[in-house]
Amino acid sequence: MALPWLESFAAVAATPPSSAFPKRFAVMFMGNGVNEQHWGAEGNGDDMKLKQSLSPLEPLKKKINVIEGLFNKESTGHGVHPSQTGSILSGAQVTKGAVIHSGVSVDQMIASRYADQTVQPSIVLACEQPETGYHETNYSMAYSSHISWQSPDSPVPNEVYPALAFDNLFENRSSVRNLSILDRVRESVRDLSRQISATDLRKVDEYLDSVREVETRVDGMRKAQSKAEDAAKGQNRPAWTMERPANGLPEDLREHMRLMCDVIAMAFQTDKTRVASLVQGRDLGMLYYPFFGVKEPHHTASHSNLSDGYEQITRLHLGQLAYLAAKLDSMPEGDGTVLDHSCLMFLSNLYSGRDHNNFRLPVVLAGGLGGTLKTGRTLDYLKAGDDNRKMCSLFLGIMDRMDIKLDQFGDATTRLEGL
Amino acid sequence: MNDSLRVKSVMVAFAICGVTMVIVGAARGASGDAEIERQFQGTVKPFLATYCVNCHSGANAAGQLSLSAYSSVASVIGDFSHWDRVKGRLDAGEMPPSGMPQPSAGSRKQITDWIQSVRSNEARKHDGDPGVVLARRLSNSEYDYTIRDLTGQDIRPAREFPVDPANQAGFDNSGESLDMSPALLSKYLMAAREVADHMYLTPQGFEFAPYPMLVETDRDKFSVERIVAFYHRQNTDYANYFRAAWRYKYRVILGQPTATLAQIAAQAKVSPKYLATVWQALNTKENMGPMAKLQRLWLALPVPAKGQTELAAEGSVKMREYVERMRKDTFTVFTSPTVPAAAPPGPNAPSTILGGAGLSSTSQPLMNMRNREFATHRRDFDRTALRADSPVPVAAAPPVVAPAGRGGAGPGRGARPPSPAALALQARMENPDLVVPSGQLPLYEAAFARFSSVFPDTFYVEERGLSYPYDSDFKGRLLSSGFHLVQGYTRDDAPLMELLLNEKEQKELNRLWDEFEFISDYTAKTFIEFFFNQSGEVDGRGKESGSARPPDNEVTAEAVVLGLKQQYLAKAQGYPAAVKAIEAHFDSVNGTIRGVENARLAAEPKHLENLLKFASRAYRRPITAKEREDLLSFYRSVRDKGGLSHEEAMRDSIVMILMSPAFCYRLDLVEPPKTADNFRGPANNLNAAPPRVSASSPRAIAATVPLTDYALANRLSYFLWSSMPDEKLLAHAAAGDLTKPGVLAAETRRMLKDERAIALATEFGGNWLGFRRFEGINTVDRDRFPSFDNELRTAMFQEPIRFIYDLVRSNGSILNMLYGKYTFVNPVLAKHYGMPEVKGEPNQWVRVNNAADFGRGGLLPMAVFMTQNSPGLRTSPVKRGHWLVLNVLGEVIPPPPPAVPELPKDEATMDLPLREVLALHRANPLCGGCHAHFDVFGLTMEGFGPIGEKRANDLAGHPVDTQATFPGGTQGSGIAGLQSYIRASREQDFLDNVSSKLLVYAIGRSLQISDEPLVGRMKTKLTANGYKIDSLVESIVTSPQFLRRRNPELGQEGN
Repeated sequence: MALPWLESFAAVAATPPSSAFPKRFAVMFMGNGVNEQHWGAEGNGDDMKLKQSLSPLEPLKKKINVIEGLFNKESTGHGVHPSQTGSILSGAQVTKGAVIHSGVSVDQMIASRYADQTVQPSIVLACEQPETGYHETNYSMAYSSHISWQSPDSPVPNEVYPALAFDNLFENRSSVRNLSILDRVRESVRDLSRQISATDLRKVDEYLDSVREVETRVDGMRKAQSKAEDAAKGQNRPAWTMERPANGLPEDLREHMRLMCDVIAMAFQTDKTRVASLVQGRDLGMLYYPFFGVKEPHHTASHSNLSDGYEQITRLHLGQLAYLAAKLDSMPEGDGTVLDHSCLMFLSNLYSGRDHNNFRLPVVLAGGLGGTLKTGRTLDYLKAGDDNRKMCSLFLGIMDRMDIKLDQFGDATTRLEGL
Repeated sequence: MNDSLRVKSVMVAFAICGVTMVIVGAARGASGDAEIERQFQGTVKPFLATYCVNCHSGANAAGQLSLSAYSSVASVIGDFSHWDRVKGRLDAGEMPPSGMPQPSAGSRKQITDWIQSVRSNEARKHDGDPGVVLARRLSNSEYDYTIRDLTGQDIRPAREFPVDPANQAGFDNSGESLDMSPALLSKYLMAAREVADHMYLTPQGFEFAPYPMLVETDRDKFSVERIVAFYHRQNTDYANYFRAAWRYKYRVILGQPTATLAQIAAQAKVSPKYLATVWQALNTKENMGPMAKLQRLWLALPVPAKGQTELAAEGSVKMREYVERMRKDTFTVFTSPTVPAAAPPGPNAPSTILGGAGLSSTSQPLMNMRNREFATHRRDFDRTALRADSPVPVAAAPPVVAPAGRGGAGPGRGARPPSPAALALQARMENPDLVVPSGQLPLYEAAFARFSSVFPDTFYVEERGLSYPYDSDFKGRLLSSGFHLVQGYTRDDAPLMELLLNEKEQKELNRLWDEFEFISDYTAKTFIEFFFNQSGEVDGRGKESGSARPPDNEVTAEAVVLGLKQQYLAKAQGYPAAVKAIEAHFDSVNGTIRGVENARLAAEPKHLENLLKFASRAYRRPITAKEREDLLSFYRSVRDKGGLSHEEAMRDSIVMILMSPAFCYRLDLVEPPKTADNFRGPANNLNAAPPRVSASSPRAIAATVPLTDYALANRLSYFLWSSMPDEKLLAHAAAGDLTKPGVLAAETRRMLKDERAIALATEFGGNWLGFRRFEGINTVDRDRFPSFDNELRTAMFQEPIRFIYDLVRSNGSILNMLYGKYTFVNPVLAKHYGMPEVKGEPNQWVRVNNAADFGRGGLLPMAVFMTQNSPGLRTSPVKRGHWLVLNVLGEVIPPPPPAVPELPKDEATMDLPLREVLALHRANPLCGGCHAHFDVFGLTMEGFGPIGEKRANDLAGHPVDTQATFPGGTQGSGIAGLQSYIRASREQDFLDNVSSKLLVYAIGRSLQISDEPLVGRMKTKLTANGYKIDSLVESIVTSPQFLRRRNPELGQEGN
């Protein structure tokens, strides 16, 4: 059940060990690649030097890992864009034509393991609506629009409205819906039990008791949460809360992305979910950046990815990682912060948009997963050989640290060395 | 020999006489209740004290049987199966064991007679007692089957439920074992939610899809697949029509002198409507053009001799090829209108000046015009394809040149493959039948028009890409409009509608397209994508740019759609074709979106009506007024107070129905709600004449009431199908005639022939014979037995199911289970058995009549039983023999004592053959007492290895020996020897067992002594009816145990 830790935390006011806190995982995705001239880092710890596009992470550099040279083999060699994106988190090969088929993504794999412990197994957000047509390579645009796949045949629908994302978490919409159902069921069983003989009553009572018990549990979970939220607020901790965002879509993309990060931060802080994914901008994206004076939409701009404008776009997106990481780092949890118990992964499906290069992918991790993941490092796998630089090996390594031990994920059977 | 057999043989004798009075008469002299009690206290207890309780008492009682615990006859009756065993051991002289004081033969008989009299007395007093049948939840299998029949989709939401516990007889369908817990209830909630997620709303009601219908891509996929599947069901092959026409022409020779064209069409599985059209076209004389030539081909088709029905096959294909070539070469290619840049640019000006750029041919409103032109001219032809009489010499034909593409194809760059358009043009030029004699153009045009009207260029378009019709590389975009990046759908099937489909089929196809729009709202979605991603072209910002979100309106609001239309019209001013396209496009989009909005509103009341009908089907009886009111008020409250949309509220209402105990419990087993206002309760039926029941005790019957018709319908369907009653059965329940003579029998027979009866084979057969969970077993070492993969495992699991299902469906002899010489195999199982190859998919099952030639046939040598009863790396004569006597012959074997010596795990490492190791084991007195009862049977199966493969040597290389000396001293070897022994000595045990087990399964409770007369009658009737399986089922469904229940008014005292 969610939040026992918060309750006991409030009650005993002792500091539990780091391992007692839940581990969280988030993916932040920007399609179409980065400006590679300003991408990357050198050195470790205090000596780490961040290039311009990564500069928003400067204050947090001890808590990040900049990873170079990883790639997804199955995403290469099938034409550009959708086939380079649809399996970015699963390592599967996507299917051409009318049948949509990819693989279960790493975030959903993790979500399924923790599904019964939180209000929502995961939150899947986007700042851009999906497209459903076809690309000229004859791959569905669904591959370009979705990174989270709960089954190979079906992507998780993206929530693009910050207000609805907020409601789903904090109004506990699914619990409320289940409660009203259980409430009615309980009444009808009670009606029934008045009409049947004593022998049969036993069986029906068993059902009635089970309904009551589950109802109490669901309700208890809701109450525990609001109690924990209250406790967090009243505890003289710098507990952070957010207002419910306004209905509709924010006009300004920067506002939109910030609200989505806030929703994730709140969800992680209150353990409403442990897994989040955010498509800040999809592959073949149509977002506009008038505030940078860039006239073309994102995808078109990416074809001149060495431009200053595209560097600004890259930095804006990477800046969301810095924003969310800083927010989580301001939330104390035990000896550390929520960030210390999390892993945020920023990535793109391409390295550079002008040549659609995805033989190496830009990846930055933030957070130490409860001390299991060393941070403050630059890791470069570019020359390690194709078998030793798989994205899926990174995913295996992350899942290990979240206590999900798999022999294989996607095309990888080995963990990323030196992670 | 098994004792219960002997007891039951006695009752068989009674039952053969056929009347209860015989039993009563026979029992009268023996004893009444008082006499039995007197003997218990005076004779039985002292006997036990003297000879038995020394070992058989207390917590560590020998054989886990404590005989000191019985203080009254009632306690003996309550635990009679133990007393059956006591009697068996006394009769056989096995107890008291040698070395202990022995009773005299006389007192031994006194005790066994007394046990027998208890049994007879009980059976007589309560014959026909329905017993206590508890209300219970559906078993997991029943849950899945019921969801399948309720929704029409095999969703199997129970796959994540914990395994159901089984009752004593091994069945998981009784209230004795099926419990509910909060953990399971949570899973029920998830399962109900999962099912509700599959629901989709239609204009008329709601239905369920094979997958969840929450995500847009899934909703699209569902509708698209339905339409494409409809297209594929149509026969659009011209050759089939020509051949059918030919068969009609020669119907007299071909032996069908009176056949009509429509009858021939039905035989050939072609559209009768279109066949008539084709027939007329072929037989209405044409003098010129393609039809004239086609008619020549038609007349050249050979004249058949008697029986030569396929003689025109080749000629028909030639005719089709001719038609297709002519249509391909006269196919009209339409292009989108375009709007050029506003200001005529200078020769060197870039073409993408902001605001100045025009609308390209890929602009959605313009492309849609092109799509519409294609769709409305399928039965027309391209007049420019015809050319004048002087055929252009090939050398003078325009050279095929690739258009200058990206990067240019200048000289020196090497030859590029010609474009599809150029190839099409070349084909036209090479087609001599497009040449028109001078002066005859109008006549030829008319001839081509007639031809094209009968033979469209295509009947429907299934796939379309951006460069349609030249996009053979872009297959797979089903029903697509072919837009760049944005998904859109275009219907293009006019020739199919007009030429092939009858009125009903036209309605069906229209319905599928209407529902596509209703389910997916694709016009609105396409418009939204267009708005945000492409409509920026109207401001000259290029075709990959969008418009800003309208501040006050939804994107799909009429004002927004029509506002954008005005912008486009302004842009296209002066270009009439584009203007026309734009008007048509936006008006159609707006009209469709408004139409869907209205249709959705109008459908809501119908959805609620259907919700109530759905509840009634889910509850398997009419819903009560209160239930109706509750359901509607729930819907209203989650919509009004919960803020759910109509669709969400519908889903939650479905979840609520599936969470109701009226759905997930078998409440029919107890009582219908007394408030029921529109169906018969027990009160209505109390005074009705008892249904035809076989012989039973009048006293027992008096304490019972008949089931309501709905309850009986449920009982029948959960017995035979493990699922809900179907419409026909419920109609009988509604009419109240299910218990009428003939109706019950006819319904039973109908249901046994239905394919849902495979559940009887799976659930009854699987649990009775203990292989129901075989698909989950992982005891086989796959490194040592690489041929054992999941496919083979599934095939093994399916074999007995296919076998039993075939018996059920064909009403075969139940003895075929033992002695059948045939079995059923699929490709992988045939290979495993060394039988001739079976070709096809794993679901390709064939009957093998000479299975005995391969050492198979009947249930006994099936691989599933051999494998399941082998502990991995060796066989287990012990387990196999135990399985045979317990599951097949129904002999009760006490559990092994705690200190069992273990056998080696791997046969390959054993010094002695297993049979010799076992012989040593039996020499151990701790083991021998029981193992003597079953090891020998397992030894006859030693010819089959750990995965049921035939073998001559065991894994260590020892030759296997299948000789056995059976109880009673007869000898035999192998399965054949075993079968002979059973036929000679144990057939009655088998019949007794299968009858009892089927009865337990049917009525969902353990048997009691009072059921024994019924079991006896089942066997008698079975024997008299040539062992036909129907006879067993009929005996059960006409028994009071099945048709009645204890009178709840009498409470527990009904006993």
